[in-house]
Amino acid sequence: MLEISIFSILALFMLGGSITMIMSRQTVFSAFGFLVAMIALAGIFALLDARFLALAQIMVSVGAIVVLSTLTILTINMKLENLPYERNKYKWMFFAFILALPITLLMYKSTTAMYESFNTLEVVTSKVVGKLLFSEWVLAFEIVSILLLAAMVGAIVIARKEIPKLEIPKQEISNKEEGV
Amino acid sequence: MSPNLFFLLASLLFSIGLIGLVSRRNLFVLYMSIELMLSSVNLLLATFSKVLGDAGGSVIALLMIGVIAAEAALFLAMIVHIYRSHKSVDSDTFSTLAQGRE
Repeated sequence: MLEISIFSILALFMLGGSITMIMSRQTVFSAFGFLVAMIALAGIFALLDARFLALAQIMVSVGAIVVLSTLTILTINMKLENLPYERNKYKWMFFAFILALPITLLMYKSTTAMYESFNTLEVVTSKVVGKLLFSEWVLAFEIVSILLLAAMVGAIVIARKEIPKLEIPKQEISNKEEGV
Repeated sequence: MSPNLFFLLASLLFSIGLIGLVSRRNLFVLYMSIELMLSSVNLLLATFSKVLGDAGGSVIALLMIGVIAAEAALFLAMIVHIYRSHKSVDSDTFSTLAQGRE
């Protein structure tokens, strides 16, 4: 009973946050909705006995991703009238809802048809995760580390300012050659 | 407590992310919708990990978090780049990426 009430509160926060995220016109409010959804998702991970995953979710998703996107939003600092003009936003949302409804039902039915109840699993602590990560999943772990390195380099290259090309005046070069 | 509620929540979150991705034009909202869809897959993985009694699902979800972080860095860099050249966060400006700089 306690679990169900905790789950309902967290699910309410998550759905409310994500609906706020897609509905609100101001980008900062969207970011706050996203923040609420991510914190509630960490709580649901903890409810699923995946403690290390909950901690990683709080550290990476909430601490890094949401903060980074909020920082970018505040740095860009769009005025409300400069935001993209979405004329038929609610109409498109309604059509997308109709489009997404069968997909939702399909996902729900196909996942619930397989399994009825939870298995008795011991709590997934960091010890278990670490042992699995460095024995069974070590290749995937290395691939993710290379991916993060490539993403870091790519982000720096994409977001940097254009460096003006250095133009060396020809006069100096010819002077130097004469001196030699 | 049955896993059905968790499956329902994951599919609802995926659909909300899909609706946001289809119907909005603000680049930040598109980015956060993609993040939300990836997070719902994460929730599904964690639920399956508990349903099957296998801790491997949590490990895959952990690696997914790393992939999400890489995606966030690249997408934000692209948003900053587009904002610098066009002074706009409209997703229509993505279409000029293919034509090169004028």
